[in-house]
Amino acid sequence: MIILSYLAVGAVSLALILLSKSHRTMNAFSILHTLSFLAIGLYALLTTVVPTFEAGSEYFYVDHLSIYEVLIAALLFFLASVYANGYVESLMQAHELHRSNLKIFYMASSLLLTTVTLAFLSDNLALFWIFAELTTVFSAALVAILSAKENIDAAFKYIFIASGAMLFSFIGLIFLYTLSGEVLGSGTLNWTVLTANATLLSPKMLAASFVFLFIGFAAKSGIFPFHTWLPDAHSKAPSAVSAILSGVLLNVGMYGILRMYAIVRQTQAEHLVSQFLMGFGLLTVAVAVLNMLLQRNLKMLIAFSSMEHMGIILLGIGVGTPLALFWTLFYVLAHSLTKASLFFSAGILHRQYESNLIQDMRDVLSLQPVAGWGFIIGSFAIIGMPPFPIFSAKLFILLEAFGFSKSLVFAVLLLLVIASAAFARFLIEAFSRSSKDTGTGELETPLLPYRVRKGMKFPILFIIFMILALGVFFPESLENLLNEIVYELGYL
Amino acid sequence: MNASFLLFTLLNTGFVLLVSPLFMSLIKKVKAYAQGRKGPSLLQGYFDLHKLMQKEVVYSPNSSEIMRITPYLNLAVLLLATLFVPIVFIPDAPEGIGNIIVFLYLLAIERFFTALCGLDAGSTFGGMGSSRLMSLSAVIEPTMIIAFAALAYVLKTVNFHEMFAITAGSTIPESPTLTLISISLFIIIIVETGRLPVDNPATHLELTMINEAMILEQSGKNLALIELAHAVKQTILMAVLINILAPLGLATELTFTGLVVSCLYFLIKASLLAGVIGLFESSLAKMRLFRLPGFYMMAFFFSALTILMEVFA
Amino acid sequence: MIFSFLTDPAFLEDIVRILFVFVLITAAFILSTRNIASLLTVYTVQSLLLVLIAVSLYLIEGSQTLLAIAALTLVSKVLLIPIFINLIGEKIKISRDLKFNYMEPTASLVVSIALILLAYVFLSGFFNEVVLGKLFFIGAVIGLSLTLMGMLVIFSRRKMITKVIGYLTMENGVLLFGIFVADLPFIIEILIVIDLMILVLLTTILAIGLDSTREQYHQRLHTLKIWSGRED
Repeated sequence: MIILSYLAVGAVSLALILLSKSHRTMNAFSILHTLSFLAIGLYALLTTVVPTFEAGSEYFYVDHLSIYEVLIAALLFFLASVYANGYVESLMQAHELHRSNLKIFYMASSLLLTTVTLAFLSDNLALFWIFAELTTVFSAALVAILSAKENIDAAFKYIFIASGAMLFSFIGLIFLYTLSGEVLGSGTLNWTVLTANATLLSPKMLAASFVFLFIGFAAKSGIFPFHTWLPDAHSKAPSAVSAILSGVLLNVGMYGILRMYAIVRQTQAEHLVSQFLMGFGLLTVAVAVLNMLLQRNLKMLIAFSSMEHMGIILLGIGVGTPLALFWTLFYVLAHSLTKASLFFSAGILHRQYESNLIQDMRDVLSLQPVAGWGFIIGSFAIIGMPPFPIFSAKLFILLEAFGFSKSLVFAVLLLLVIASAAFARFLIEAFSRSSKDTGTGELETPLLPYRVRKGMKFPILFIIFMILALGVFFPESLENLLNEIVYELGYL
Repeated sequence: MNASFLLFTLLNTGFVLLVSPLFMSLIKKVKAYAQGRKGPSLLQGYFDLHKLMQKEVVYSPNSSEIMRITPYLNLAVLLLATLFVPIVFIPDAPEGIGNIIVFLYLLAIERFFTALCGLDAGSTFGGMGSSRLMSLSAVIEPTMIIAFAALAYVLKTVNFHEMFAITAGSTIPESPTLTLISISLFIIIIVETGRLPVDNPATHLELTMINEAMILEQSGKNLALIELAHAVKQTILMAVLINILAPLGLATELTFTGLVVSCLYFLIKASLLAGVIGLFESSLAKMRLFRLPGFYMMAFFFSALTILMEVFA
Repeated sequence: MIFSFLTDPAFLEDIVRILFVFVLITAAFILSTRNIASLLTVYTVQSLLLVLIAVSLYLIEGSQTLLAIAALTLVSKVLLIPIFINLIGEKIKISRDLKFNYMEPTASLVVSIALILLAYVFLSGFFNEVVLGKLFFIGAVIGLSLTLMGMLVIFSRRKMITKVIGYLTMENGVLLFGIFVADLPFIIEILIVIDLMILVLLTTILAIGLDSTREQYHQRLHTLKIWSGRED
């Protein structure tokens, strides 16, 4: 039922967008699409008996983790669509986005939402693989929508790296299939069956197939060494798209890794795989942070920050204790929201200065107070300051990791300090610049404040409100939901 | 050293010396026909040798003993190598004769002295030819070694005589790897004897020469001996390929009819192979010198795959 | 009967082994060639070899899926995709891919041999527990090697069309691997999805005119005003 309704809404929205003529209608349908997905998700969570199989087959599976991820995705898409209303209009005025590509833009984002949702709801790993590949294609289309050479290059790089790595994942799927066929009689790729029989699977082969699967999912999430597409794609895409890329698509990869780890965790391969994941998490954080220090481009800074957070999430998954999992899941939510707000603010700044570079930004706080302060607060949130939610999530994950390896935690803390320094440096340099103190005597043309269109401020304010609320007051329903997930994945 | 081996020495070397110029002419004839002309007659090789033998030998005043002994040394070494590749029949050979490693080294000696000889007269083109030859041979060495190693691995012996004894009598190669190895051997023939696409044997332009450049200074009898040595090298390498791939008719014992049959079969098969080489040459253009290592690398990759396939599968 | 030897398993296995070597040779050609037209021909030959391997395996094993896979590969990879790429090549004149990005062909061939050995070592340490037939094991190694070599093509070349061929080679490798390791009914659907994706990619390249030497296509892609500064 749930799947069918998702599919139906997705198809209808696509058709409506296809038929619309003006930007307003397209955007309206897009927002409606996201809202209905949100509604269906909430309905599923609150009324139906979850976990449950869907469409009468073993292919789709709705459990708390799927609903959680779907809700995060739908929420982010909703905010991005609202934001896109004004942003895309503005891009078109500046001739960076051609009118003819508008329909493709909205169709691609509608298809993206549908495929992401279906990916989260798949039980069969092969089906998940197919949907993940489709998300790569659609998101690459969104990256390339501004028909500039850099965008096309970034989009192609993204497709090749992500799809190539997914081919390795496919080899992992074949291994898994053979492996389960050995033990269970007939091979299966259904996650439910695999978790139920995880202890029967040979640990060595399971570990090897995990490594192959990891390659593909890690590339989708921007883990070192498959991260090379991430800075380019996330920074060159239009900001509404960047928010979706950082907030939703990176989660798809992590979702896959988490599901697989839940299987591996029950066998003897757990120790090895856990160290493997923690190692890669640490490396990702290190590479991301060291790159952040050098950045003069605002969106690249934020993109590398995404990579850093994915590293920490990977670390959290690798730690593998129930508490770590609980906080990792919370981290996912917190990160998606905060990152989205950062990208939205960056988008407004981009429209103001026609540039993302430090040297082009002046008088930020006087010209664009909402965006400027939004960005400052967002930066505080993203580096893990209390009272924002990322702080508590990071704290508990690192506490759990402390039990595994003290040096690891110290290394991560050091890297986090460097990350904060990177943000601070950028902020101080960019935001304190004022057109009054030119110093060189050259004439600086006075900047006209960019008139922020409606719908662009709302998401930023909404998110800031939400993350403050989440950080200060942890709602009990969320806690129950996360507990359910931890329980269902077999951690308790 | 028994009588059979003595007879083998005489017969094998005599036969090879006799037919080598024929095959060289045959290749030229095939190339000529491919180019739409008639070409020189099949016996032209013999006439050329005869003509050269009559001519006076001229030595450059800068040359040393190397120039004087190389033609004789080359021919001697190659005739020794001929003993390693039984064409008329397979004798009862002493230990060591027929070893593929020694065979490779004999070919290397010949190459080495030719290169020295090219440098000897002090002319620029000679030196250029020598340096080209040496660098290219260095790149083809691994391929040769791996191809022969694969051969040894498949046939479980490092002695040509034993190898041919094993393959003798069968019409098609037993193991599929032998088919693949023959492709490697074919490439080695092309490279070692300096045929297109590696080196154009008919070129007049010194800057495009590799092999020819080194023998520019030779004249008269010496040139005849060097040409003959080159033809002998061609023949014995072709014989290796033929006896591995299609050893039908090779006599394993010393009987008169067996001998005749062997010689006839060899003539036919080698003529076919010469025709194939001619056609192959006619269909390709000479490769740029700096692209040759890439081509050799492909050949190496192919041989490596062959031996991997054989060892692991 | 003349055809009795066609069904003789030992003979068929020999044929398959020879085909394996040629498949890897095609991959080596793709790695080292500079000519776009020959690139496409070699890819077509490679797909054709794959079809032959699938058919031979069907003659050995008798599983129907193999025949379906062979037919599908024949239609999509030997006919459709090459025709499509030819169309692209004609419409937007693609020049020769003269520049190699990081590795000259000689070096990439050496790396390929290392990759093949790596694949062998990895898989042999792995299939100890699952007893696979010798031929199937080699098939798996060749499949994995082909995938790795395809990845090498993506990394060492500059032109987009060559990278697409590299990706297609990777897909061929995974297909080969799948044929030999497991009997997979769903492999067909996956392949269809991948092929569709590739067609979409190729259409994009056609529409935008990447790799083209014609000036009109260069002007189509403007540079966004803001790009400068620190980028990868």
